[in-house]
Amino acid sequence: MKGRCGEISKKGVPPKDAYDKIIDELGKLSRKIDSLTHSTETILEAEEKILSTLGKRVLLESQAKTVVPDATALLSLPGSLRKTMLAMYKLGEATAEDLSDETSRLRAVESACANQLTRMGYLEKKRIGRKVYFQIQQSLGALAE
Amino acid sequence: MTEVISLHSSRGGTGKTVIGVNLAALLASKGLNVTLVDLDFRAPSLYHTFRPYVEPPSFWVNDYLNLHCEPDDFLVGVGKALNLKGDLLIGFANPHTRAIEDMLGKSRSWEATALKRLFDLKTFLAQNLNNDVCLCDTSPGIHYSSLNAMLYSDRIVFVSTSDPLEMEQVANMLEEYNDVFEDKTSILLNKAFPETSCLCDRGQEEQAIRLLADIKIPLIGMIPCYCDVLTTQTRLLMFEKRGHPFFGRLEEVARILISEQKNKKERQAIPAK
Repeated sequence: MKGRCGEISKKGVPPKDAYDKIIDELGKLSRKIDSLTHSTETILEAEEKILSTLGKRVLLESQAKTVVPDATALLSLPGSLRKTMLAMYKLGEATAEDLSDETSRLRAVESACANQLTRMGYLEKKRIGRKVYFQIQQSLGALAE
Repeated sequence: MTEVISLHSSRGGTGKTVIGVNLAALLASKGLNVTLVDLDFRAPSLYHTFRPYVEPPSFWVNDYLNLHCEPDDFLVGVGKALNLKGDLLIGFANPHTRAIEDMLGKSRSWEATALKRLFDLKTFLAQNLNNDVCLCDTSPGIHYSSLNAMLYSDRIVFVSTSDPLEMEQVANMLEEYNDVFEDKTSILLNKAFPETSCLCDRGQEEQAIRLLADIKIPLIGMIPCYCDVLTTQTRLLMFEKRGHPFFGRLEEVARILISEQKNKKERQAIPAK
């Protein structure tokens, strides 16, 4: 019977040179593992750099999207959106239906306006069960509480 | 339901505070529950007006907007002290220099939170105090506190003199914020036509119509320039000059406001088809 490290004796004990070969092979494996570990570390470092850059960009984008809904910002909105926003100021958190009750406009109109305000960064949206709730930015809500 | 009415002007010295104080007292004397809030943080004056009738308040409107207290902490009742039929609650703005400085250096986030607090105040007045009217004395011109007041008000009354330059400023503001003012704004001419005080009422009205030709908002009232009102030491004229024609004019304004509020309540009581 011949293994990779040479011939195994009939008693099942490998000859001495076979040990040397095993040690040699293990050494090669160890070096390969070291090299792989080094490469992985390099890759991870590079990944970390990329993620950090991406994270900063995402953060910057989210900051740019955050609007402070003060009076001047509200005055710059079209009248239809401002009406929804003022209703949100009154209600704090509301569904499109709640908004519709407040403004006496159609639920679909309020839904469209609230979604538009969410895209513009004035409102945040969350789903509880089957209902979608809109709320004035978390930061403002937290400050107002 | 609480009707929030902001008294605004394009510049100072139009008599906004005198109108606000006396209109509030007049409405309360007719049995309405009234709140008067000083939102003129640059030049607060309500506290000095009511100082003879109240103890120094523990909290100010400033504290409420700064999240340091709740509405029932800063509202001070003066209805009993003034022997009025209805309640008259006053929210005083802090007149101390440090407080004025503090209010001038606020961030946009704070201003947005202040707007939310004003909406919460309106809900509180309607739900907890059965308040009928909340009058807000705003800061003249364009200032965050006056913009906030205008946004949360149900009605805006521009108090203006008959000075053509001032009228031009009013026209500019109305044009700039046309869709905000919409149909909720009216104008009250105060200290009107001092140079033509000898004209009969009709003559003054005709002059007012000419003056307001370019401004497409309704005239809610006109108070001529009365020298004795201008020279009175106190702003709360109601008890000193009750029989004065100034009050006759102000009564007319109050009557319009009450009847419009009544109509609005009736309209809201009818369920939408």
